[in-house]
Amino acid sequence: MNTILHTIWLVMLRELKRLVSRPLYLVASVGVMAVCTFFFLTLLKGGSAEKMPVAIVDQDQSSISQRLIHEMQATPSVDIRIVTNDYAEARDAMQKGHVYGIFVMHEGFYRDLVSFKRPQLDFYVTNAYTVGGNTAYKQMLTIVNLTSGAFQREVLRKKGLPDDVIMHRIQPLAIEGHMIANPWGNYSIYLVSTILPGILGLICMMLTIFVIGYELKMHTAHEWMNVARNNFTIAILGKLTPYTVIYTLLGVVCHFVLYDYVGFPVHGSHVRLMFGLLLFIFAMEALGVLMITLLPALRDALSIGALYAMLGFSLSGFTYPNMSMLAPVKALSYIEPLRHYYLIYVNEALMGAPSINSLPYSMALMAFVLLALLASPRLKRILINDQMMDVE
Amino acid sequence: MSLWHTLNEYWESVTDSTYVFAREIKRVFTDSGVMIIFVVATLAYPIIYKTMYFNERIQDIPVAVVDLSHSSESRMFLHQWNASPDVRLTHTCQSMAEAENLLRDQKVHGIIYFPRDFASQLADPLGQAHISLYCDMSSFLYMKGIYLSCNQVMLESMRNIQIDRYEDMGMDKEFAWALVQDAPYTDTALFAPTGGYGSFLIPAVLMLILHQTLLFGICMLAGTAREEDKIVYRVIGRRRSLGVMRLVIGRALAYFAIYYVLAAIVVGWYPRLFDLPHIGNIWDIMRFNVPYILATIFFSMCVSLFIRNRESGLVLLISTSLVFIFMAGVSWPKEMIPEPWQWVACLLPYTFGVHGYIHINSMGATLSQVSFEYIALWQQALLYFVIYSTVMYIADWRSEKKKQAAEAISGTSL
Repeated sequence: MNTILHTIWLVMLRELKRLVSRPLYLVASVGVMAVCTFFFLTLLKGGSAEKMPVAIVDQDQSSISQRLIHEMQATPSVDIRIVTNDYAEARDAMQKGHVYGIFVMHEGFYRDLVSFKRPQLDFYVTNAYTVGGNTAYKQMLTIVNLTSGAFQREVLRKKGLPDDVIMHRIQPLAIEGHMIANPWGNYSIYLVSTILPGILGLICMMLTIFVIGYELKMHTAHEWMNVARNNFTIAILGKLTPYTVIYTLLGVVCHFVLYDYVGFPVHGSHVRLMFGLLLFIFAMEALGVLMITLLPALRDALSIGALYAMLGFSLSGFTYPNMSMLAPVKALSYIEPLRHYYLIYVNEALMGAPSINSLPYSMALMAFVLLALLASPRLKRILINDQMMDVE
Repeated sequence: MSLWHTLNEYWESVTDSTYVFAREIKRVFTDSGVMIIFVVATLAYPIIYKTMYFNERIQDIPVAVVDLSHSSESRMFLHQWNASPDVRLTHTCQSMAEAENLLRDQKVHGIIYFPRDFASQLADPLGQAHISLYCDMSSFLYMKGIYLSCNQVMLESMRNIQIDRYEDMGMDKEFAWALVQDAPYTDTALFAPTGGYGSFLIPAVLMLILHQTLLFGICMLAGTAREEDKIVYRVIGRRRSLGVMRLVIGRALAYFAIYYVLAAIVVGWYPRLFDLPHIGNIWDIMRFNVPYILATIFFSMCVSLFIRNRESGLVLLISTSLVFIFMAGVSWPKEMIPEPWQWVACLLPYTFGVHGYIHINSMGATLSQVSFEYIALWQQALLYFVIYSTVMYIADWRSEKKKQAAEAISGTSL
């Protein structure tokens, strides 16, 4: 037993020397993770998109259209960038990316309004930028409803009705919106919670492919196996332990930064959420081992692995829900560990669901580790035959 | 004599550049790793993305109903809402607790709740009725679909109620309408008629794919050259300044030749093939691609100066794809990005490339309307060309000095 532990220690020692021999390993793991964490947490500091620039086309040029524009400019949620009487100018500004929406008051607006002819208002939003366009759309709806409400109030006041009565006349029906687990509609919470763990998993997989593949590429696998006394299990354990420690630490830090330091809400259990993250990391590490086992040429394993893992961000369904994807694509999402982590995150952080709900996803993540174990005899053969194999 | 000399040198630089160009083309086409990234990934990835976002918009989001009012008004409301394509009322629950369980188990992504007094408040001429709406926030698109469609139905029914009440007050119907909706509006979504997620995201992803595959491929080629210590990236020719030019231009043109064709397929032909937005002029896109590809090539060559191994570039830079797409201000509007990050984003060809491309391709802008982005890309191309050439020049000068010193030492020892 002691000799086994000693051998593992020797392999680990060899790996630690390699780890510090060049900056690549620590930069690619700790460095990249630190930069990405800083970037994504500062990028979305605002949390929600509120003020998008819009253009107003005032073809009426009347006292009421002018007053309306003044009122809109005073509304904090509306950012009026351009006021013009030329629609072409506003459209040009939109095509140049200066505004996301155009609000048009046609000629005769004032005349039709006071004679109760219900003049038409037009607004245009760009669909080429989804978030910008949507926010501009909401702003312009606000503008229209403000206009309409103000006008009704004026008319009813002239009829001599008291203000509280007017209020209920104008708004006889109201919706109270409740955004579960994210009452501020904070974009940051929803985006960063999946993207940062996703990047960490990506790093784990790529680096795992690299550290094993590099031995094959440089034909040093026999030296590695010699240190491990030709015991495959010891060789793998010794090699991956230092990295697994780094990944685990990064995962724990990532969890504490998001849910403690920044304070994103967790409605379920912190422990189970962090456990899910660690399982995800191990699954990605196992996926790395699997990649280099199936594609023993380093460059192929890295290229294919990168393509595979990048798809996970879309397939996880955190931006575009999985339910609307085609059936084969939906099926494909199950082989992306990030999909399972995302579902654990939804259960634990957002829904506060019982642990049984996350169990299938935790088991799916463990299945990746099992899969790598099942494929390991092939890796063993590859390592032992390394001297004879033409990997490059 | 002097004229002959100049002509000769000119001719030499053309042949040298051609030689570098041909050698680099050959290096690309004989390297399977680079070919996977340059050609396979570039051509196949857009197809995968199109497949993933094939359905464009989410429909029939399952919603649970808790109706304590049991009134014809609430039923009417639900009936109208169910008719909208965005939602489907899948479950009717007796209590909030029951609906919350469904939401927790992700069977539904929203809950609509009518309180007991819903109908009586509506019947009361001074009453205000309330509806509560609970949205699953695990994806913003759930919230958008549920909230906007419900709001639409709410506004519609609200107007009808208002008109009924005004009529009860003795107003005539036409006047009541004019009062309730003094200025009706039409809303038009420009540029992507389906309003789909894919129509918005895929054009941005196409430009990102060009940018990132060039970056990874060039880093891989540079890393390989470093590893093999071949003289391929060494300066050729007699005069160093000219030699550097020949080397840098010859290589850049090789990548440019490959990527100009790939870009024609990926950002020119694919949007037409896949029925993505493509209202722009194709020749404007092709002209815009010239500085975009050149700037990306020289940017990637500068990054590749830091890469020592064939594979380390991919390991180090893979996560930049996510950083770049957010920093450029595409999925998250650029107005909401803190200023320091906007400055950093100005260093990336992708930032200007993606906005220029979306403006031309998806919004029908002309090349002169994207002149800001177009000029910025030429400036970047120039900047990164100068940086890379300078570094190469200094590196060559230093290695030659070292060689001379070594020769001097061996000379004295002899």
